[in-house]
Amino acid sequence: MEPSSITSERLSKDEIDLYDRQIRLWGMAAQARMRSAKVLLIGLGSLGTEICKNVVLSGLGHLTILDDTLVQEEDLGSQFFISGGDVDSLKLDSAQSRIQDLNPRVELSFDTQSMESKTSDFYKGFDLVIGTELSTKQMTMLNELTRKYNIPIYLAGSNGLFAYIFVDLIQFDAEDEKLKGSQPTEKGQISTNTEVIEVRTRHDEDDDKKVFEVIKTRHYYKSFQQMIKTASLKGRLNRRQTKRLSSVLPLTLALLQTEDEIGKLNSRKLKEKAVVTCLQLGIPETVLDDTYVEQFTRQEGVQFAPVSAVIGGSIAQDVINILGKRQPPLNNFIVFDGITLDMPIFEF
Amino acid sequence: MGREASITRIIGPENYARLQHFKCLIVGAGGIGSELLKDCILMGFGEIHIVDLDTIDLSNLNRQFLFRQKDIKQPKSTTAVKAVQHFSNSKLIPYQGNVMDTKQFPLHWFSQFDIFLNGLDNLAARRYVNKISQFLKKPLIESGTSGFDGYIQPILPGITECFDCTKKETPKTFPVCTIRSTPSQPIHCIVWAKNFLFNQLFTSDQSPTAGDSDDNDWGTDDKEEISRIKQETNELHDLQQVVHRQDKAHITDILKKLFIKDIEKLLQLDNLWKSRAKPVPLSESLIESTRYDHDSTDLSAVWGLEKQINQFIRVTGKLMDRISQEQYNIEFDKDDQDTLIFVATAANIRSHIFGIPIKTVFDIKQIAGNIIPAIATTNAIVAGLSTLTSLRLLNLLPYDKASSGLDVNMAFTARASNLSKDRYLSNPKLAPPNCNCAVCSKVARGVIKITIQGLEKLTLSQFIEMLKKQYGYPSETSLIDTSDQRLLVDFDFEDLLNRTLSQAKLRDGSVILFSDEEGDEREMYKQPLELYLDVVEDNAAALEVELPSLQIALFKPQKQDEKEEQEMTKEKSPANEENKNGIVILDEEENRGEKDNTATKRPRSPDQTLQDTKKAKTSKSSEYAEDIIELD
Repeated sequence: MEPSSITSERLSKDEIDLYDRQIRLWGMAAQARMRSAKVLLIGLGSLGTEICKNVVLSGLGHLTILDDTLVQEEDLGSQFFISGGDVDSLKLDSAQSRIQDLNPRVELSFDTQSMESKTSDFYKGFDLVIGTELSTKQMTMLNELTRKYNIPIYLAGSNGLFAYIFVDLIQFDAEDEKLKGSQPTEKGQISTNTEVIEVRTRHDEDDDKKVFEVIKTRHYYKSFQQMIKTASLKGRLNRRQTKRLSSVLPLTLALLQTEDEIGKLNSRKLKEKAVVTCLQLGIPETVLDDTYVEQFTRQEGVQFAPVSAVIGGSIAQDVINILGKRQPPLNNFIVFDGITLDMPIFEF
Repeated sequence: MGREASITRIIGPENYARLQHFKCLIVGAGGIGSELLKDCILMGFGEIHIVDLDTIDLSNLNRQFLFRQKDIKQPKSTTAVKAVQHFSNSKLIPYQGNVMDTKQFPLHWFSQFDIFLNGLDNLAARRYVNKISQFLKKPLIESGTSGFDGYIQPILPGITECFDCTKKETPKTFPVCTIRSTPSQPIHCIVWAKNFLFNQLFTSDQSPTAGDSDDNDWGTDDKEEISRIKQETNELHDLQQVVHRQDKAHITDILKKLFIKDIEKLLQLDNLWKSRAKPVPLSESLIESTRYDHDSTDLSAVWGLEKQINQFIRVTGKLMDRISQEQYNIEFDKDDQDTLIFVATAANIRSHIFGIPIKTVFDIKQIAGNIIPAIATTNAIVAGLSTLTSLRLLNLLPYDKASSGLDVNMAFTARASNLSKDRYLSNPKLAPPNCNCAVCSKVARGVIKITIQGLEKLTLSQFIEMLKKQYGYPSETSLIDTSDQRLLVDFDFEDLLNRTLSQAKLRDGSVILFSDEEGDEREMYKQPLELYLDVVEDNAAALEVELPSLQIALFKPQKQDEKEEQEMTKEKSPANEENKNGIVILDEEENRGEKDNTATKRPRSPDQTLQDTKKAKTSKSSEYAEDIIELD
């Protein structure tokens, strides 16, 4: 993935002053690369609002937001770009000046058409797509298009206190540095979807005794459809890891897999579905806790501001990392439990 | 369906009604504080108070999303509250002030809240709010971020670890000789330029030998070297006179002294250069030939030596112009470009002499100004975690399985901090209080309510008798005012016994420490008792003094040498440290105006060992941040 134009034009003094505290983290070059990126955000709900805030503040080049919904009364409890007086107006109409106000340097487009009305050409021009709170059908369709045009995609949704992130960067090379230890890093596969393809050493410019390994890793991804159909942990967990598994993974996947019945699900039905998911995952169905089944049934599709802050922060950070080409990206399914703050990453 | 639809589906209508009656205090309206304010409003806290001392700065705007360019120099707390009005349904009260100011924020003010949420950037305020939470036995959620790293630590007084149960890292220090004679890294030259050279030339009250006392950590036993260092300091005092006379014609003399003569003297100490590369003094002709240069300068480029020299000359001249208008005292400030460029060029010229890489002004600003990188995303994550956990601590989650505070989880950004590949967050359960913690375990703690009349009538002697009687202390005790560590009474200091409490300068917000100095027949002592004086209005119904009911435990004191060892490891304030033993350090509180950043010092956790690994993995760009991170 390359940003549309590799303009490493120098940052202006004003930009350096404004972005000072983050340039000190990821450097001028990454900041300049972000400025040339073009991103599409689908859905300005609670998660979309958080993602939008974070990427606009960070100094992204262009952001297009696609959302055709009207402001509902209940949106006021989880979103901060809208206000009581905006109920029943188009959400983007209400939110756009507040979003632009966050960072006048970012070029914004607001699109109030529906996702379904878009032709596949619409997606072509973006360097990256983020879809929030979409249905399984929409996510599957969207991911097919992003694969067709070789565009990285992040998908996320929440169920009250619980949430997930799915990432498909198709194939992505990342570079990372670490202090050289006694065991040199070797080339080869290091996890299900990742391999080390190159290792160089670099001496610290201030202290010659400090030696770093510059490690290039290649990350492989699956499509959303493939991931929910084939996700498995068979033979990959030891006893301790199995014990740490919570209900959140199978319940989240079960909801994604049985979407047609959403709204009609009671906790007994959800549990039945989740038992099947456990079977697919190769994990014991004793992982399923009845109180969690009940919570998922009650909280299905509920957007909750502090959960959105955690998930929106995590996605935006990963987007910034891959645009700036710093740090290896997420791969590929993350679930969050807002009670215990458990947030495991699964490579499916 | 109203705005409460989401939250009621999660916590239920009864708990939502309770939440609407809860009051929370957010301490800090910076990066974490702005996020906390938004999350607490949307979640539905009934009343939210927010305190911040600071005003808004341009460099805040990359993450403190409630602030705009037009808000620069406005107070953070009031501006934040204005910015959230359009989506808020909570009662919001902002305060511009220091949370440690007992006049503005007495203990009874804190007691109105159900929970405290920290969004602080400094150790002193964190410790203070922790202590308040211990006095009032109210839950606190402590949090911090530094770059990609972030953590939250929920604290339930008496049940879980408090903020002070784990040792906090002290500022990075360097031996004097490294700074003054044998630098080997850019940071050594920056510390030399900022803490030594700049202060000697531009700051008042620099006695010729300040910092050169004999109990210094010199880092060497070489007498010759130590005496050279002392002499050099004396000579620098003469250079200060050049500055005070605003004698611009002699700026080159300063250069020649620092970068030729002093280096030549160093070279005479053969011992220093047996295993090190020798420094190479500047050439006199280079200094003489350098011309003033008023070109605009790119602070993020590496300048050549000649440019370093001419910028040094230019900016020294500017500082000379300023010094008489500024009472002969200019302090280093990272946002004062003259002082920054002075320090940067002096450090770089010294680096050049010692064969150390040259840095950009941008990079030196970070090191000299103790700037900690800060981003929106980490703050958003940490504030979200903190807000979620507040539901747990207030018992509002109907399905929560936690049976005690020890089942509650803390969290830190395990993946971003390179501690884990398969967990985005690590979430160990909380630990019980550390039995050696001087804040929550080794002292008994309580609040005395006292009327103004009581304060003016009661003598220290009467007061001490009351305490002895109430809590069963023996006859020999001591009483200390902890705000200034002032001894009020002990067995051989009884001068103040007949003074009233107010004459003894005790007032609302004073915290006193009452200790058993005698012990019983088994050499067991009553635990020290720390008491907060909460002064209440006189009224007919109120007693003059109301002592809290407390059970005081007994303990066996440690032997003297163990005690000393413990003293050694105790945190010392950076300011004192420099005066006391002359170790050169970077200031902790340099970055005023940068109020939301803090180092991520996670409390003790099962992953503690991993943290050490992490330090080793620090990548190049954050290397200096890492040094400086240790400050907080």
